[in-house]
Amino acid sequence: MLASVNGNSSSSDWPGRYYHVDQVLDTPGPRTDPSFLAGDGVKDFLRNQCKILVIGAGGLGCEILANLALSGFKDIHVIDMDTIDISNLNRQFLFRPKDVGKPKAIVAAEFVMNRVPGVKVTPYYGKIQDKDEEYYMQFNLVICGLDSVEARRWINATLVNMVDPENPESLKPLIDGGTEGFKGQARVILPTITSCYECSLDMLNKQTAFPICTIANTPRLPEHCIEWASVLEWPRVFKDKKMDTDDPEHINWLYITALKRAKEFNIEGVTWSLTQGVVKNIIPAIASTNAIIAASCCNEAFKIATSSAAYLNNYFMLIGTEGVYSYTFEHEKRDDCPVCGGQTMDITISKDWTVDRLIEMLVERQDIQIKKPSLSTPTKQIYFQAPPQLEEATRPNLEKKVSELVPDGGEMTITATTLPFSLSLRVKYA
Amino acid sequence: MATESQDIETVTTNVATGQPDNKTRRYDRQLRLWAATGQNALESSRVLAIGATATATSVLKNLVLPGIGHFTVLDHRTVTPEDAGNNFFFEGQKSIGKRRADEAVRLLGELNDSVEGKADQANIEEVLSNNPEYLLQFNLVIAHNLDAVLLDKLAKFLWSDPSYPTLMVVRSAGFLAEFFIQFHEHTVIESHSEAMPSLRIDKPFPELYEHAMSLDLDNMDPMDHAHIPYVVILIRALEDWKKAHGGNPPKTYAEKQQFKKGIQAMKKKHDEENFDEAEAQAYRAWTETTVPSEISSLFQDPALSSLSPSSPPFFHLLSALHKFTLQPPHTLPLTSTLPDMRSDTKNYIHLQTLYKRRAEEEKKVFKSFISKDVQIDEELVDSFVKNAHAILVMRGKRWGEFDEDSAALANSLVISPRETATHLALSANSSQSLKSAAPPTAESLKAQVQSIVGSGVELPEEQLDAAVGEVARAPTSDLPNVAAFLGGMVAQEAIKMITKQYVPQKGYLVIDMIDMWTGPTGL
Repeated sequence: MLASVNGNSSSSDWPGRYYHVDQVLDTPGPRTDPSFLAGDGVKDFLRNQCKILVIGAGGLGCEILANLALSGFKDIHVIDMDTIDISNLNRQFLFRPKDVGKPKAIVAAEFVMNRVPGVKVTPYYGKIQDKDEEYYMQFNLVICGLDSVEARRWINATLVNMVDPENPESLKPLIDGGTEGFKGQARVILPTITSCYECSLDMLNKQTAFPICTIANTPRLPEHCIEWASVLEWPRVFKDKKMDTDDPEHINWLYITALKRAKEFNIEGVTWSLTQGVVKNIIPAIASTNAIIAASCCNEAFKIATSSAAYLNNYFMLIGTEGVYSYTFEHEKRDDCPVCGGQTMDITISKDWTVDRLIEMLVERQDIQIKKPSLSTPTKQIYFQAPPQLEEATRPNLEKKVSELVPDGGEMTITATTLPFSLSLRVKYA
Repeated sequence: MATESQDIETVTTNVATGQPDNKTRRYDRQLRLWAATGQNALESSRVLAIGATATATSVLKNLVLPGIGHFTVLDHRTVTPEDAGNNFFFEGQKSIGKRRADEAVRLLGELNDSVEGKADQANIEEVLSNNPEYLLQFNLVIAHNLDAVLLDKLAKFLWSDPSYPTLMVVRSAGFLAEFFIQFHEHTVIESHSEAMPSLRIDKPFPELYEHAMSLDLDNMDPMDHAHIPYVVILIRALEDWKKAHGGNPPKTYAEKQQFKKGIQAMKKKHDEENFDEAEAQAYRAWTETTVPSEISSLFQDPALSSLSPSSPPFFHLLSALHKFTLQPPHTLPLTSTLPDMRSDTKNYIHLQTLYKRRAEEEKKVFKSFISKDVQIDEELVDSFVKNAHAILVMRGKRWGEFDEDSAALANSLVISPRETATHLALSANSSQSLKSAAPPTAESLKAQVQSIVGSGVELPEEQLDAAVGEVARAPTSDLPNVAAFLGGMVAQEAIKMITKQYVPQKGYLVIDMIDMWTGPTGL
């Protein structure tokens, strides 16, 4: 399998091609680990054997693919489920106006193969969840340039679950990058060894959520009017018709509806752009920040693949708004991490809490954030989101007190269909 | 379903829509950071890159994508096999032997049709000798790993007149790199600071004070009581406190705690979140609203004492601001933006209207202080007043000044040893390549560093060994990932210089991609 994909990729190399990269592969530096074997061996591994997976072919993904190809990786795979939108063109530099509507993974792969001779980029236009462990097992390294927390949690948990202590090959280093405006971060995760994505969930910025009563009764900001249009008015007017935030007609309806409400309440500032920003939860994104973070990720991939320098341990954070500020630190592993910790998480709740209230906490708590959780104890099902019959059967429990269903110090298992792991909770009552 | 979709159409065709055009859609994700003002500045900028290295084309890529007006690549050389291997803006073997400037401009130009690109085959050495005025058609000049003698000449020329283009010097070798922005003066109005302007709770303007005092908190409907904005709560709480404390606000820690308790005691029901919010914001009541020291120090700026009609509008506005603050209540003009707070629509909008009206009045007063000899764009005045609490004046240094200042180097070696040692290793690398064709060694670089800093200065051995060893390992290597990293960093700073938004980096920003850190030196 490996051989047929690779072929003899060095046939396209020309003398001097790797002049720049070879300077650091032919000689160790003062800080290079003594195990580094400078010269042909490491070049052969990088250029003929190493297989790397890139998740995401967007803002970070385009940069990552180009950097990897120039660094000498020749067997690159890329997964992305999106198609190209006009708003991508200010930074996703492998795409042109004629590509709008086409799958990102396919266009990006073709572009890089055309530009950098001898590099094979294998695209997959679809979801990471479509692939199984056997698929992920074929790679030496995984780099993520994703904008979705859910997808990151999925791949992180999948790679942690894949680790077999008997088989060192089963440990796939995961390099993760993310950006927001002038800010970003890059990190190296060695599944089960270093802190994982789930360990650091509480570092995520909390999303601004407006209380429903503010939206319904006491709007003060233009955002409140927009939320009113999208959360309350749309379902009231259009019933079951699904809102498509990529459809300009839909955004326009929301904009006009929000504008009317704003006028009624003397609120200023509802614009088309704000409407789109609020309903799509748009995060500002620019080429330069993506370039910095993608380069950091690829530099780590290069160092791990070649041992030419020590890799990042384990978190690089960048803030570029006021000068350039960066902070490199070791993020600590969490013993009660539901993915890599193995220890049960202790929570203390009121004796009066209903199951419904507990679910609300599971959704909101920064270090848990499980949307649509299903709950059970070793002996009984408490609440299941699906299938519908089971949901209906367990629904009456939502109103019951947790303390009636789970004894003090009792354990509970939380699962969600979107997450390939379960969370063990030990419940105590205050 | 049919009638519903018709609904959308009727609405959207009957009302003039605010739907953006293609250009706005393309730039949407960046307009949310620097708005139309920043975009206009970018679109009228002209950038020159000297040498089509992998780093230089990476910088240009990140400037062409967001839409600068024009870029020129100045390069007299042809593409070598080595160039073709590490630059994404050459097409592998196909580009070998072709002109570097042509190839880079062709492939960079594809990224954005609205950007004008020009290839220039002139040799920078000849340009500097025969026609340095050529450089004056640009706003920004980027030089990556330029020969030390030429760089020195370039930097001195561009420094010779404050109106000449900004110079961005970029150097790299293997995993190590740095950049430096040479500018005389840089003023920023839209710094996008996270600092909050004062709401003047301690010095309420008459309408605000009257409004706060007119409310009958005791006999208020419980629902209304839970909707009193914290601004009003704090004004009332402070007023009561001052009455009981000889007109003074809470000063000591104990007093501040007591003040907070007083706010809690104002609650009618324990779940009134507006009072919790007031407690959390209590510092706004006891923090005296004055002119922040960062702003008042700008009033001493030499540009103010030599103000003339030809001075930049920024300094005329700064002068007006100074005059404004000399009047009671000795504050900056009031902000017109009220943060969101727990309240109902009526109370909040009323309060917001009070702030807006007052801000408008104060803006009028501010404007009356602007010299009558100058015409300043209305939008600029608005923006200045709005950002008055976070404006900046930066003064830069000439490239090379730091390396000539033995005392400054010695001092920096103590304060930031790894950054300064890495900077010096890069300096040694560029000056050594002039003297000899032989590749540098760690020892020869160290000797060169010592000669730069002077024989009496002690060098941090560990940090210097780490840096010179890496430079000696890869003295001429423009690594793809380092080039891409620099491409992002330098473009980001270029955007800040061009748009005059956000805060650019001062001094040298040094980068080590082995231990993955960045840090400044030579500030």
